[in-house]
Amino acid sequence: MEEVGGVLFSIGPLEVTGRVVTMWVMIAVLAVLCRLATRKLKDVPGPLQNLAELAVEKLRGFFAGNLSAENARRYLPVMSTFFIFILVSNYSGLLPGAGTLFAVPTSGLSVTAGLAIAAFCFTQYAGIRARGWKRYLKSFLLPFFVMLPLNLIEQIVHPFSLALRLYGNIYGEETVTEQLGHIFPLVLPLVMQGLSLLFGFIQAMVFTMLLASYVEEATE
Amino acid sequence: MENALIALAAMLAVTGCAIASAIAQGRTATKAMDAIARQPEAAGDIRSSLLLSLALMEALTIYGLLIAFMLVSKIG
Repeated sequence: MEEVGGVLFSIGPLEVTGRVVTMWVMIAVLAVLCRLATRKLKDVPGPLQNLAELAVEKLRGFFAGNLSAENARRYLPVMSTFFIFILVSNYSGLLPGAGTLFAVPTSGLSVTAGLAIAAFCFTQYAGIRARGWKRYLKSFLLPFFVMLPLNLIEQIVHPFSLALRLYGNIYGEETVTEQLGHIFPLVLPLVMQGLSLLFGFIQAMVFTMLLASYVEEATE
Repeated sequence: MENALIALAAMLAVTGCAIASAIAQGRTATKAMDAIARQPEAAGDIRSSLLLSLALMEALTIYGLLIAFMLVSKIG
């Protein structure tokens, strides 16, 4: 990785890279926004609370189409966290200084792989919680017990594809924007950044939609 | 000579993936538009399914792009 994504300092045995610092800043900003939006809840909402309510409503509608009613109610917070985190992460690549002053989190395989591993653990947890240990493990033998290796491979490949899809898209966007900036600065990157607006959102949505369908499949 | 081969390999990786993905996504989009034209009130559902399918196909192209990046970084 380039120097801006390198290791900055170490806390004990863990190395803190530029991407981790960017994620900390993101978390701080989002936490402050959430606190401000819910500080004094009114029946006739102010602008920030209105925005928060709009976000929750849209997310609820989005997941209602993808998950069963019980799963949607139970797992809305986790899924929305994934979605908002990936969305803000992708859009941080549009801020001035991205790539040179700070590292975009999702443009590194480490971050997307971490997200994919978290998604994998969450899927298994959801499946075990909904069906219990034995029934969930037995479901790998359905519909026909010879399918066991295929089902296992499928479970392993899903997080790989999630991680690589997100990493490839965002890293590709950042790299193309940079190269276009070398060719014709200030004007040509605008084209790619416009596409980044669209594709950043789509990638966040696809990650979350796929996670929802995996959870739905695991909880039957 | 080796650099030329590496560059050629990177080009092949992206070309094949881009062509296949373009053809497949074009067909998907065509069917989706036909479906929306036939039943406009289902446009929301069709749009979500369309985006999901497009992203899944796009992922295959991205795998090729990643290989190309890894190859290009080995030139020189």
